[in-house]
Amino acid sequence: MNTLITSLLVLAGLLVGVYAIAVLQQLLLLGPRQVGAAFQLPIAQALLLLHQEDVLPAGADFFLFRSAPFIALSVVALTALVLPLGPRLIGFDPSIGLFYFIVLLSPFVVAMMNAGWSQNAKVGLFATFRAAAYLISYEVPFGFAAIGPVMAAQSLSTERIVQSQAGLWYVVWQPLGLLIYLFAALFVTFRHPFDSAMAGSELEGGVFAEYSGPRLLLFKVALDALFLLLMGMGVVLFFGGWQGPFLPAPLWFVLKTFALAALVLWATRFVPRLRPDQILSLSWKILLPASLLNITLVGILTLLLTGGNP
Amino acid sequence: MTGNVEKVTTPRRGWFVQLTQQPRPYFALDGGSGAHLFAALSQQSPHARQVYTPRHADLLVIAEPVSQKLVPALQETARTLARPARVLLIGAPEGRRDHFSGLDIAAIENLFPDAHRVAAITAQAVLEAVLNAEQWPKLLLPQQAEPEPILIQIPHRQEQEIATELVVLSLGPLQPLTAGPLRLFLICDGEQVLSAQVEAGYAHRGIAAAMQQTDWQHALVLARHLDPLAPVASQLAYVQAIEYLQHWQPPEPVANLREAAVAFERAQNHLWWLLRFAQLLADTSLTDRAYDLASTLAEHVASLWRQSPSQWISPQQMIATSIVNDISASTLRQIASRLDALKSAVARNRLLALRTRDIGTLATVRLKEAGVSGPVLQASEQGAGDVQARLLVRLEAASLDVQSASEMLESKERTMAHAANWNVPTGEAHATVEGPRGTIGIHIASSGGEKPVNVQWQRPSAMLLPLLPEILGGQLLADAEVIVASLGLAMAEADG
Repeated sequence: MNTLITSLLVLAGLLVGVYAIAVLQQLLLLGPRQVGAAFQLPIAQALLLLHQEDVLPAGADFFLFRSAPFIALSVVALTALVLPLGPRLIGFDPSIGLFYFIVLLSPFVVAMMNAGWSQNAKVGLFATFRAAAYLISYEVPFGFAAIGPVMAAQSLSTERIVQSQAGLWYVVWQPLGLLIYLFAALFVTFRHPFDSAMAGSELEGGVFAEYSGPRLLLFKVALDALFLLLMGMGVVLFFGGWQGPFLPAPLWFVLKTFALAALVLWATRFVPRLRPDQILSLSWKILLPASLLNITLVGILTLLLTGGNP
Repeated sequence: MTGNVEKVTTPRRGWFVQLTQQPRPYFALDGGSGAHLFAALSQQSPHARQVYTPRHADLLVIAEPVSQKLVPALQETARTLARPARVLLIGAPEGRRDHFSGLDIAAIENLFPDAHRVAAITAQAVLEAVLNAEQWPKLLLPQQAEPEPILIQIPHRQEQEIATELVVLSLGPLQPLTAGPLRLFLICDGEQVLSAQVEAGYAHRGIAAAMQQTDWQHALVLARHLDPLAPVASQLAYVQAIEYLQHWQPPEPVANLREAAVAFERAQNHLWWLLRFAQLLADTSLTDRAYDLASTLAEHVASLWRQSPSQWISPQQMIATSIVNDISASTLRQIASRLDALKSAVARNRLLALRTRDIGTLATVRLKEAGVSGPVLQASEQGAGDVQARLLVRLEAASLDVQSASEMLESKERTMAHAANWNVPTGEAHATVEGPRGTIGIHIASSGGEKPVNVQWQRPSAMLLPLLPEILGGQLLADAEVIVASLGLAMAEADG
């Protein structure tokens, strides 16, 4: 019974969060003059998609095509469990919380690949190859960037990582780690400017080219939810999680998460969509060496700051 | 078009309460004249959102005229739409399309009897129609079309250590890269384009042939349709050719007014192109700036003329300068300086350079051989000849055009008005006008009768089409799109 309530709460929380992210995106897109439209549009778009036909293209792999959005959404819901909203306010707190989070991200990309592969069309196939290439290239920098806070906190538990930032947020002495983390987070959520696997013009929607109606909505919800969770995990790893004065802990966590999300979304406005090979070069030639450098720096600083005892 | 048209599901019934203002994801189908309209429409309202696959759209917006060759693609798109879907036609209805008689265009009403139609061609009017779409009848499944089979030549290549299979990726005929329909077959080895095959003619209406079947005066209307995105330039070319035959030279005030009208048109074309290019790169900040400039200039130019240039550019027609409203030269200068600022911002933008520098480089010699003119040639002569150079050249040209046009309008010499003279003596004449995409030329022959005996157009975009395969070969797939878009092809003009 307890598990059921937890899972329902997590799903409800995710949906509210996704709505808030969608509103945030609209606000950034439309500017301050159309606040009303920004709040109304996400709901209207969701209703429109629910109303629409759920197309199954001829020759599509029935099982993969139909299941891909559900796999994506369930993976996202599972990762949400380890995010601590406040002290002891967490769905599931294993001692390896962060590891669990990172491992569950890969099935999400696999779900995207299934979506592209199963639709029996060339654009989807091209998009699948791109998604597969990104899967390999985001994981290494992502893992290495997340190792920084783990080294400092000497724990993989997300709660423990937050608690060990009581004195000083890790962003202060691991800014490079945060930067690499944010890049990798944009990679894994296929967000602009790394969205060429579902790009508008060149692949006509890429992995989503053949999806319509409710299933497309599920995918969009999963993508926004994952982005929200990654920003939340960024706050846990680098911005001291729920900690802050005066306000209740969960409120601090939510505020920080949306501030980080707004900052990232705003910054990506100024970048054109990158080419797949540029994305791979960025990952392997810049982010990977930088993340190794970051680990070295963090190791030295951890010894200097704490003397090896967190 | 998506690669997979057929579907095995049945449409779903609506079971949700309609909101007061429903969002409309629409798929834009441009027969060749709608590029600027669609560019403006995409930025008008957050509720009307352009999507790039018909599966995500619930409205198909068709800009007429649509040529016969495009019809199978149109039917395929309509079949691909997720239901419920509706169709909106933009253009004058059948009965009022007198000037199109003799042209090779399709009657879309017969294909979509339930389609809604707007005759007004302003983005605002189309937007209003788009947002009220739920009142129209839903689209029924149109009949299956039989597209012509197209033979694609796969290049031979040497045996490689790792055997890879070539893929033919068909792009278009409806794609956002060119203004109007063009089909590209990219033969890809993974992400690399090995070679490309171009299939044009989807916007062919047979303007030159139709002009020979009608009298001189009606041919003027047809001349405007040669390039629906730059009607003034092609109209002026036709008028100048007639005036050469009549041995008549326009006095300076008239020539200035004409030149100013063409210059404004060039600047507007460059700006709408910039907007479409920024949208293709998904660069939101550049898109916003481009739209802001393009719509400001369009608004300003529209309020500038008391009578639109299409009405007073006729052979020997003299107009009183009072057709120009009081121009606020300061506003135009401001637009020009904003364009300069944008140009230097674009030149400094390192992130934009990631996608535009060193790709699609064209050598000046090759361009001259092919007869290319306009911004593409200038970019190779003055700059590196890559995509970035073409972008910068267009921005600079737009700024210069706005400046020179406003200066030309400031001189207020008076001329006597007199009506057009349509008596065309025997002879042959050739006239050229600098249009937004290069030199638009016309060659006409007259036997002194009612009709032109021979009409031949020199179409700047058509010169670029044969260059496409060689410029695309060896490029990356993602770059290929940017390169095609950077050429700024207008298919209606290229196909004639």
